[in-house]
Amino acid sequence: MKNAERGILSPYDLRKPLNRIVYLLMCLVILAMVLSMVYPIAVAFFNGVKANVEVNTFPPHFLPESWNWDNYSKAWHYIDLPKYLRNTLFIFAGNMVMTVVVLGLASYSLSRLEWPYRKAAYGFFMATLFVPPATYLVPSFINLKELHVISTFWGLWLPAGANAFYLLLLKSFFDGLNPELFESARIDGASELRGFFQIAFPLSLPIFATLAIFVFSSAWNDWFWPTFVLSQDRYPLSTAIKLFVIDARRLDLNIRFALLTMVMVPPILIFLVFQRFIIRGLHLGGVKG
Amino acid sequence: MWRKYVWGYAFVLPAALIFLLFTWTPMVKGMIYSFYHVDFVKGDTFVGLDNYRAIFRDPVIGTAVKNTLYYMGLCIAVGFWVPILFAVAISELRRGQGIARVAAYLPYVVPVVVLYGLWRWLYDPVGPINALLTQFGLSPVNFMTDPKWSMASLVFMETWQQFGSAMLIYLAAILSIPRDWYEAAEIDGAGVWKRIRHITLPAIRGQIALLFVLQLIATSQGYQSQLAMLDGGPNNATLTYALNIVKNAFNRLDYGGASALGVLMFLVLGLLAALQQRISKRGEGAA
Repeated sequence: MKNAERGILSPYDLRKPLNRIVYLLMCLVILAMVLSMVYPIAVAFFNGVKANVEVNTFPPHFLPESWNWDNYSKAWHYIDLPKYLRNTLFIFAGNMVMTVVVLGLASYSLSRLEWPYRKAAYGFFMATLFVPPATYLVPSFINLKELHVISTFWGLWLPAGANAFYLLLLKSFFDGLNPELFESARIDGASELRGFFQIAFPLSLPIFATLAIFVFSSAWNDWFWPTFVLSQDRYPLSTAIKLFVIDARRLDLNIRFALLTMVMVPPILIFLVFQRFIIRGLHLGGVKG
Repeated sequence: MWRKYVWGYAFVLPAALIFLLFTWTPMVKGMIYSFYHVDFVKGDTFVGLDNYRAIFRDPVIGTAVKNTLYYMGLCIAVGFWVPILFAVAISELRRGQGIARVAAYLPYVVPVVVLYGLWRWLYDPVGPINALLTQFGLSPVNFMTDPKWSMASLVFMETWQQFGSAMLIYLAAILSIPRDWYEAAEIDGAGVWKRIRHITLPAIRGQIALLFVLQLIATSQGYQSQLAMLDGGPNNATLTYALNIVKNAFNRLDYGGASALGVLMFLVLGLLAALQQRISKRGEGAA
């Protein structure tokens, strides 16, 4: 018997009828799970091409009777999707630069450079992990107002550099790099800045890629905080969808679904293409997803 | 001497400034604001303990605390075991593991607001879930507007959205268990359930404990889906403590009161964390 051939169950177990039935049931449950994941996405798409009367009938049917593709052109003209998508990407880019430069340099210094009171500085960063963010949500808002960064992108970009969890991930990654690389660079006369950007950064691309997934998914998902921090023309896609599509009073249901589909499909396609890398990256990040 | 350390300090300085300005300042300021009436136009006035007194007189707080505990409990009861179960099941699939894995993670890729829009329709009194229920001869349920159901409906939705990422973590741990262990156990006569109970589950004990704590931390501060789907309603049935903070600040513009609520939350959660540390340390000592 080959080891690769078995998991918890061995081929021998599967010969017993009771085990077979349970295994079959288990496969059905997984199939049901897969369908329940795909169903809402499919239903959004089909509802987006139905006539509005058809979306509102009870009981709802899955496939549309008529295919109204012009829903999409109506939806496209309803809000300026490219503008809000651009804002989201802009927020993501700024947050990522902050993560690479500010957190990257700091964790490199904490991990690879020697200086007095380094432990204390590390504590200064890590202690913030123990305070739940919800407890200082409101003071954060007042603070941003007092610093006059509210309603600009800086109100999101600057605080993006204050993430102790990412700092921790980066530092533990740098800890694992071979110190001799940096020694030899130093002997060759490279400055510490070059050591970071030309040696540490390229070697740490996997962890930065993982962080990019995290940073992207938070820029992509966060809708609530930007409503307070940004002015209306700087809203990211999520916020715009929440306020102008989901909370809209007078918007036909089929157009609403067409809009939701347009927002949903591109990231799903990107995910399906890159899922191997993305899932591997998530494992590198340990637990947060 | 000084030159030797200059790079070390220079690299840390930007991060130190940003943490100081955007994390430490609000934390400390929150305590100060809790003693003030905050007014952006007329300026702040010191009100002593008034904000705290108002909190203890407010009957909504009791509801909010109860709802938060109920929400945390439901998330454990409904959501916590689902990813473990699916991870074990999917690890046993001989074919199609990749598809199951990708499907489970799919909702994570879509912006949550889109899912809120979708689920509002799925939960609609004349939506597909109720159509299914009536087809089986059951009476339709007002998932959103019935206070008995509203929180449970939110927890079910969140479980659907989020179990994928926890499942991937468990799955990775389960797949790294050496196959020989099962082989040996089987030769010793351990049945399938015994193998799961004594090999699989102990091997992922660390992940289970970690995700349990992380889930408690996250759900104790939960407010986003409650806010987006129901705005704390119906009749405050989904008003969690964190949502109450948000509403005090941004609907009633009572920033001082909201800061005081935050300070109280910090004290309670901090106390619990300290207690948990003590208990787990004592447990280690006894063992």
